Amino acid sequence: MTDPTTARAGAITASARAGRPRVGRADWLKRGEIILLAGPAIVMFSGFVIFPVFMAAYYGFFRWKGFGPPTDFIGLQNYVTILTDQLFLSAMQHNAFIVVLSLVMQGPIAIAFALLLNQQIKGRSLIRVLIFVPYVIAEVIVGTGWGLMLQTTGAVNDFLGKIGLESLQADWIADPKIAIWTLMVIISWKYIGFAVILMLAGMQGIPDELYEAAAVDGASYWQIQRSITLPLLGPTIRIWAFLSIIGSLQLFDLVYIIWGQYVADTAGTSTMATYMVREGRLTGNYGYGNAVAVVIFLISLVIALTYQRFVLRRDTEGALTEKPGKDKF
Amino acid sequence: MKKALIGTAIAALILTGCGGGTTDTPTTGAETPATGGETTSATEAQEPVTLSFWHNATTGPGKAYWEETTAAFSEEHPNVSWEIQVIQNEDMDGRLQTALNAGDAPDLFMARGGGKLADMVAANQIMDVTDKLSEETKAAYGEGVVNTFNVDGKIYGLPTSLLPGGIFYSKDLFEQAGIEGTPETIDELNDAVAKLKEAGISPIALGGKDAWPAAHWYYFFVLRQCSQETIEGAAAQDFSDPCWLEAGQNLKEFADTEPFNQGFLTTSAQQGAGSSAGLLANKQAAMELMGAWNPGVIASLTPDEQPLPDLGWFPFPAIEGGEGDPTAMMGGADGYSCHIDAPEVCADFMNFYAEKEQQEGYAEAFNTLPANAEAAEAVSDPALQDILGAYSDAAYMTVWLDTMLGQNVGNALNAGVVNMLAGQGTPEDIVSSVESAAAKG
Repeated sequence: MTDPTTARAGAITASARAGRPRVGRADWLKRGEIILLAGPAIVMFSGFVIFPVFMAAYYGFFRWKGFGPPTDFIGLQNYVTILTDQLFLSAMQHNAFIVVLSLVMQGPIAIAFALLLNQQIKGRSLIRVLIFVPYVIAEVIVGTGWGLMLQTTGAVNDFLGKIGLESLQADWIADPKIAIWTLMVIISWKYIGFAVILMLAGMQGIPDELYEAAAVDGASYWQIQRSITLPLLGPTIRIWAFLSIIGSLQLFDLVYIIWGQYVADTAGTSTMATYMVREGRLTGNYGYGNAVAVVIFLISLVIALTYQRFVLRRDTEGALTEKPGKDKF
Repeated sequence: MKKALIGTAIAALILTGCGGGTTDTPTTGAETPATGGETTSATEAQEPVTLSFWHNATTGPGKAYWEETTAAFSEEHPNVSWEIQVIQNEDMDGRLQTALNAGDAPDLFMARGGGKLADMVAANQIMDVTDKLSEETKAAYGEGVVNTFNVDGKIYGLPTSLLPGGIFYSKDLFEQAGIEGTPETIDELNDAVAKLKEAGISPIALGGKDAWPAAHWYYFFVLRQCSQETIEGAAAQDFSDPCWLEAGQNLKEFADTEPFNQGFLTTSAQQGAGSSAGLLANKQAAMELMGAWNPGVIASLTPDEQPLPDLGWFPFPAIEGGEGDPTAMMGGADGYSCHIDAPEVCADFMNFYAEKEQQEGYAEAFNTLPANAEAAEAVSDPALQDILGAYSDAAYMTVWLDTMLGQNVGNALNAGVVNMLAGQGTPEDIVSSVESAAAKG
């Protein structure tokens, strides 16, 4: 009795060895499938992502108001202006501040929440939902809502007045001493749910045996968290931090909606992205705006690559060792 | 690179495919006269043309006005059919710029003159209508108005309405605070502010978040401080006259008395009850410096969405020792320009909407001031009638400074004023921020 599977496998091996065109056809079929299925996505991606990046780099070399093709080539002058413009430099500082504070504020809180929610406690699902809801709400709605509540005459000050804390009332949005902290609170409120979900997922990936073994050895709760949970949560934390950094570098919508493009400067909450939109879109200096876009792109790229090279390396090492000798990044 | 080209081709296909917005195609079926039919000598058999037309009246009577007016034009010109797109005001600039770049510009589109129009003219995008406007139009509009969209001595568009600025106020709140008459000098304005504060009323609403309403305060101090020649010289970005700085100092002095609503820096101009127009509409503030479009905006924000019954208007107060004429006005003009490749009949349509009858309809539909002085009788709103009175007595009218200077420098000027009002800049900084903006453009 012949096993049909073996027979077929044998036939294929034989035909492959003989180099019959059948295999070539199957190969072409496969390529055809790839082109058919991935083609539209590749074309769209090239047309709407790759191509504009190159066009932005090209337009950045011109003094161009955006009417008709650019003609006034000025080389690197736009870049010189950007890097000497006080408004851009302070926007960059704000971005740096937001990156660092996002990590410092959100990370520990998210881990604490995740630890809490990883226990069997009452109302766990409800708390999970409450923490996650802000992340799901659109930026525009978050911005509009907080913007209205934090007005000088808004709900927050009103509430403080009603409970007898007039002394705490403040100009939350416009006062440059407070504004960026206001922004940080809103950002944390909005994005912490995402961090918590990631951390929870990370914690649930930690094998129970480790905890059981530690418990048997008589380790305390804090010892267990410090020696097992945190180290094994490392990859999750590093990935979260990466997403948080990239998000903070490109922060635009919340600032734009709450502060608008002018007050963001005086209140000290402008970011590189709001600067780009203001200088490009609103003042009609499209050439200059494109140059700003390129600068932001390069800054993000350098930071992302550096982070991958030095921080994410150990996490991806295992994943990329399948082809020995291949340069990891 | 080849891939990129395919990408653009596809992008172009998609973009043309979903042009978006509200497309009414075509509102008037053009009935092209049949060959050898009953074509009279007056309306010669002409090639059928379709005019694409972009305006910003998204709803209500304004939208209906353009539908009726284009239909009426097609009755006289049966070969003309229309393709109207209605685009939200704030989206207009970006959409138009994209269309102009893509070589797919509409034939007739909104324009407001000034530096932006000059940029478009320089890029060879706008039809010169100097010789295409009829003598009737020129006579009915008057030289000053017909030249609103002038660039280098040629006419590149025609306004539909004129929108001078001044101070809108609530007559009830003025009475409540015991203010008699309306302020005619800055001192009197300061008195009025003080009285309103005493009465516990927020004196002046200001939408500082949008910057331009705050900047208008600076413009009007400039209007009173600088001579007409100095202001018009600013188009060439010359701010050397000391009056520019003095105007900033005047504004600083005025702002230091804290006349504006609490939190004015984060107040928007026109969105919702908390905006500056909303504060006026809901009797939360007594005054607002705005253009002649304001009665309509306020009407949409009152609790019952009706015009504010006690809304009044007075011109910006005079400044002692200023070189500007105390009757001079500053404002803008809403109007239309034809694309350089548009059919000739586009300019005929301008002559058509300039006629008295169409202009009366325009003034009523948009609750505003018509550009054709003969249509002024159609203005019924009392605040608008006050503006009209001041306008006919005005020594001259200049265009909003940010419009005149173009987007680039205009925005920097606006930002400079906001900075100063936020307590982070000086009058000197306003002038210097304008100069640094010129470097970016």
